Amino acid sequence: MNWFLQASAAIYLASGLGAMLGLVLQSVRLLRGAILGLALGVAAQGLVFATLHERDPVPALTDLPQILAFMVWVAAIGLLVLNLRFRLGGLVAVVGPIAFLSVFLSGLNWGRGAFLSSELTGSMSHVHILLSTAGLGLMAISGLVGVFYLLEHKRLKSKRLNARRFQWPSLEALDRVGLATLITGFSLLTLGLITGGAWVYVSYGQIWTGSSHALWTLVAWAIYAGLVGVRVLGHQVARQAAATAVGGFLFLLFAVLGVEILR
Amino acid sequence: MKILLVGMSHRSAPVEIRERYAVDEVGPILRKLIDRDEIEEAVAISTCNRVEIVVSTRQMDVARHIIRSCFHSDFGGGLSLPNGSQLDDHVYEYADEDAITHVFRVASSIDSMVVGEPQILGQMKDAYRTAREVGSCGPLLSRLYQRAFATAKRVKNETLIARRPVSVARVAVDLTRQIFENLKSKSALMIGAGEMIEASLFALRREGLGICRVANRTRANADDLAARFGATAHGLNELDDLLVDSDIVLTCIGVNDFILDPERMSRAMTLRRSGPVFLIDIGVPRNIDPAIDSLDNVYLYNIDDLQQVAESNEAERRRESKDAERIVIEEKERFVGWTVALQSVPTIRHLRARAESIRQSELDRVLSKSEFSDEQKSRIDSVTRGIVNKILHPPLSRLRAQTDREEGLAVLEEARALFALDDESAPGSEVDDLQKDMDMSELIESFPESSEAKESE
Repeated sequence: MNWFLQASAAIYLASGLGAMLGLVLQSVRLLRGAILGLALGVAAQGLVFATLHERDPVPALTDLPQILAFMVWVAAIGLLVLNLRFRLGGLVAVVGPIAFLSVFLSGLNWGRGAFLSSELTGSMSHVHILLSTAGLGLMAISGLVGVFYLLEHKRLKSKRLNARRFQWPSLEALDRVGLATLITGFSLLTLGLITGGAWVYVSYGQIWTGSSHALWTLVAWAIYAGLVGVRVLGHQVARQAAATAVGGFLFLLFAVLGVEILR
Repeated sequence: MKILLVGMSHRSAPVEIRERYAVDEVGPILRKLIDRDEIEEAVAISTCNRVEIVVSTRQMDVARHIIRSCFHSDFGGGLSLPNGSQLDDHVYEYADEDAITHVFRVASSIDSMVVGEPQILGQMKDAYRTAREVGSCGPLLSRLYQRAFATAKRVKNETLIARRPVSVARVAVDLTRQIFENLKSKSALMIGAGEMIEASLFALRREGLGICRVANRTRANADDLAARFGATAHGLNELDDLLVDSDIVLTCIGVNDFILDPERMSRAMTLRRSGPVFLIDIGVPRNIDPAIDSLDNVYLYNIDDLQQVAESNEAERRRESKDAERIVIEEKERFVGWTVALQSVPTIRHLRARAESIRQSELDRVLSKSEFSDEQKSRIDSVTRGIVNKILHPPLSRLRAQTDREEGLAVLEEARALFALDDESAPGSEVDDLQKDMDMSELIESFPESSEAKESE
C-alpha cells in the first residue's frame, strides 16, 4: 500500500463530499473548498509520481493501478484548469468520489499489477504510456461532461425544473469543456500512438506487430478521429456531440484497457 | 418604556384602501408625532404595500390614540373610506414583544407580499435614515432597527428565502443562465414592445446581456424601447435574418397566428450551425408553435412553464420562511433580553446610591463626634467604601446576569423588594428622587456593553 496515494485518495473523497454538501446547502464557500481540496489531492498525488522519478531507472507506468491513478490525476488537473474559465465546482461532487475510488484501489495494488508486457522499458515506452494515459484522462472528462450534458438537456426539455440546481455548469459550459478536453485528449492520444509505433519499430524492427492491443487501439483512434473531425467542422449539434463523447470514451476504454484485461 | 406599532399592509387592506394612505414624505408627520409629550421616539414607513408607525412611549393608550388620529388625518388626509369601511377595520396594532417581532419579520421580508423580495429592507433603511435626520429616532428605536437589519442579514445568509426567482421575467433570466455560461457574448431578440418585454429586457440587461434587438409591428414602439435599453429597433419583416444571430428570443406580441413555426426555426438553426437557442414565449395567445420544441438545440418555454417555475420557487420560499421565523424569534428574544437587562440599570444605580448614602451618613456621624486627622479620615473613607463595594459586588453581578433574559424581570422585582428600594422610609431613601427620572439615552449609554450590544452595532 502506498500511503501517499491513500492520503491523496482521502483528500479526493473529502473534496467530493464537500462539493456534495455545497450543492445541497447551496454554499459557494463549500464548493470553493471542494475545488481547493481537489487541488490538494492533485498535489499529494503529484508527490507520489515525483517519488517514482527518484528511482533509477525510472519505472514506466506499466501496471493497471498505476495507469488508473495517473489517468485520474490528469483528469483532475484538466478539471482544475477548466474551472478557471467555467464554474465547474459542482462537478467535484462526482469527480471527487470517482478519483477517490480509483486512487484508493490503485493504492492497494500499487506496483503489483501485471498488465503490460515487461518488455515495455525505456524512455520511448515511458513517453508512449504517459501521453496515451493523459489523453484517456482528458477524454474521461469529455465523456463525463457528455453524460451531464445529456441529463441537463433532458431536464430542460422536459421542463422539470423543481430540482435544486445550484452552481451547476450551464449547457454551454458543459459543451465547451467537452470540446476542449476532447481535442486535447485526442491530440495526446495521437502523440501516444505515434510514440508507441516508434517504440515498436525500435524494438521489433517493424511498426505493425498485429497484437490485439494495437489493432483495437488503432480502430478506436480511427473512429475517434472521424468523430472529432465532424465535431470540429461543426456538423454536429451539442447533444449529438455529448452522446458520441460518452460512447466514444467507453469504446476507447475498452479498446485500450479492456482488451488487455480480457486477453 | 413601551414600543407600539400601528400599521396597514397588503395583509390587512386592499390596494384601493392602501393607496389612500401612502405618502411620499414621512418627515413632517414624524416631527408632528414627537412634538407630543407622550411620544418619545417615532419611525414611519410608507410604501405601496405598507404604512406603519413605530413609537416608543410611556403612555400606551394615549400613544395609540395619537397614532390612529395621525393615520386618519396625516396619512389619509382626513377623507372617509369607500363603501362605509372604517379605518379600524384595516389597521393592525402590535405592542412590545409583538411589535419587535413584527419589525424583524418585515425587515426579513417574511411579511412581504412576495416572500423574500429585497426591496423592503432598503425601504426600511430609508425610513430609519429619515427618522434619524428628523431627530425622531432615539436610542431605543435605533437599537431596534439596527437589530432588525442584522436579523434580515442573518435570514438572507442562513436561509434560501431570497435565492430563487419568483417573477416571470426573473425566472426567464435564471433559465437563460442554465443554458448559457456568459450573457455578455450573447444576443437577444425581443419580439414585441410591451411591459413584459420591457421587464425581461431590464432583467437581462442587468445580468450583462451583450447585444439586444427589439422587433415590433409598430416600429415607433420598438424605437422607443430600444432607445431606453441601448438596443436596436427592427420591423417584423426582418425576423428571418434576426433569428440567425439570436441566442435568446423572447416574444410577447398580439398576433392571431404563430409568429415562429418549425420551418422558419429550422432554417435559422441550419444557418446558425450548432449554437443552442432559448425561446421564451410569454404571449397570450402563444406566439411560438410548440412543435418547435422538438428541434434539436432549441429550448422553448411558454408563460405557463415559467409561471409554474415561479410558483414552485415561491412555494420553496414559503417553506424556507419557517427557518426565517425561527431566526426572527431568536433575535426577538435577544432584543427583549437586552431591554430587560436595560431595566436592571436603574435598580443597580439605585442600590449603589442607597448604599453610598448610608455609608456617607454613618461616616459623617462618626467623624463629627471624634477627632481624626485628615489621613485617618481618608483611610476610614477608603475602608468603608471598600466594604460597601465588596458587599454589593456579588448581588449586583448576579442581578446583571439574571436580567439578561426575559425571566429577569421577576428577579429584578425580588431584588427591589429585598433591598427595600421602593420603601421611602428605608435608610438612604433620600437619594431616591434623583434615581426616578433617568433619561433613556443616559440609561442605554450606562448599560454595560455585552456581546449582544456589540454585535448589534
